[in-house]
Amino acid sequence: MSEFIPIILDVSSYILILVLVALGLMIVFGMMGVINMAHGELFMIGAYVMVAAQSVGLPFLAGVILAPIVVGFLGLLIETALIRHIYLRPLDTILATWGLSIALKQLVVLTFGPESHSVPLPIDGSLELGTFSYPLYRLILMATSVLLIGGTFWLFTRTNFGLMARAVIARPDTAATLGIDTRRMYRWSFVIGTALAGLAGALVAPIISVDPQMGLGYLVPGFLSILVGGAGPLAGVLVGGTVIGGVNNLLAIWISPVAAMITVYIIAILIIRLKPEGLMGGRRAK
Amino acid sequence: MLEIHNLSSGYGDAMVLRDFSCQIDTGKVTALMGRNGMGKTTLVKTIMGLIRAKSGRIMFDGTAIEKQPTHQISRNGMGYVPQGREIFADFTVTENLRLSLLGHEGGNVLTLQQIYDWFPILKERAEQRAGTFSGGQQQILAIARSLIGGPKMLLLDEPTEGIQPSIVHEIGVQLKRIAHETGLSILIVEQNVDMVRTLADEVLFMENGAIQERCDINAMRDDDSLLHRYLSV
Repeated sequence: MSEFIPIILDVSSYILILVLVALGLMIVFGMMGVINMAHGELFMIGAYVMVAAQSVGLPFLAGVILAPIVVGFLGLLIETALIRHIYLRPLDTILATWGLSIALKQLVVLTFGPESHSVPLPIDGSLELGTFSYPLYRLILMATSVLLIGGTFWLFTRTNFGLMARAVIARPDTAATLGIDTRRMYRWSFVIGTALAGLAGALVAPIISVDPQMGLGYLVPGFLSILVGGAGPLAGVLVGGTVIGGVNNLLAIWISPVAAMITVYIIAILIIRLKPEGLMGGRRAK
Repeated sequence: MLEIHNLSSGYGDAMVLRDFSCQIDTGKVTALMGRNGMGKTTLVKTIMGLIRAKSGRIMFDGTAIEKQPTHQISRNGMGYVPQGREIFADFTVTENLRLSLLGHEGGNVLTLQQIYDWFPILKERAEQRAGTFSGGQQQILAIARSLIGGPKMLLLDEPTEGIQPSIVHEIGVQLKRIAHETGLSILIVEQNVDMVRTLADEVLFMENGAIQERCDINAMRDDDSLLHRYLSV
């Protein structure tokens, strides 16, 4: 039994990070119909903010605070310069944000070089329980992810901002006739989505190798999670992330990463074929 | 109060309104009648900024609103109850109302209590999901949602569509009372003659994207030849 616990914990921590990345994607896609291909790069930049913060001697916590601020501000710039002009035009957003993702990647290569960087673990210890031992930072990372996911749910289901955001998702025109500034809601939701990606990048930086290509590794499963889970209700991302992340990780450990990816795609295709709305439903026809 | 000058509007290249002009007076209930496809809904949607005017001018309370975004027009005091009601089905009654309060924050909004006094059914079902309501109850909620924002003028697009006659009459009587109590101006697009007779002070008949005739409600009560001509009733 005890040999399974680390595997379950590994899989859970991957799922939680995936959900965190997919949440930002889902907010932006579900709300504005923007398929943000640069979301993975925003996650990557979050990790690089951590690398930069550490290289100038700032503590880990400073990187965790700086990453969402820097990436959120970048999100605000992207929204103002690019996304604002192509709301609700999914095909155009794919092209525009794909171009943006290449530009961001190159920018990072020019600034930090193409090689990978590593961020030291902020907490070295392990949790020891009899024969069972697990790195403490991974446990903290999981707890933080749960809090962030819970916080995002709270923001969108329990606050005034959330009520307005859900109204704009359901009926943008009607929301506007009630005095709600839909453009402003789009803008701040986009910034929240990008800040979440940046924060996720900074938190994950110590347990992966930080390189300019790292975004794609999370973008693709992130999108699959949304497709499988359904974009409407936030719960869809949780279910989708669990299915995609769980299968991918378990099979990668038990068989091989290639077999895992093949299986994930087959499962995704089957679910999308049999339940086009996603497991939890709610995707809007556009 | 609402003055429309040489307005042209429509969908893509197809103009539904061409050089449309009219004036809607303050403190009155004006009904806009006409057959389907005559441009009534296009007109209210253009006033609300949901369809962009191609040319012309819409003056509301001394401000040109034809280039303003919809939420700004709403905050300027233009309430709108769309055709088909468009309530938020997943939200409770209170959430639907609160949404409008949030949209008009800092404005001249009404209290929930005021709304509940006018429409007691909404108080009874305050925490119920709006999607579980009947058509008539949804219509009451859609009207209340607009009123709570404290509009100076209310645009109602076919409020009686798909609603049982007893509730239609109730809504008409209640709206008339509210208009008289508060001085609210109403522009109602309607095909239901009973509703117009209950509610309106004045009737405009629209055909081919223009106002053809304008008459007092009492004149229409005595003589329904206009109804025959413009609605084939």
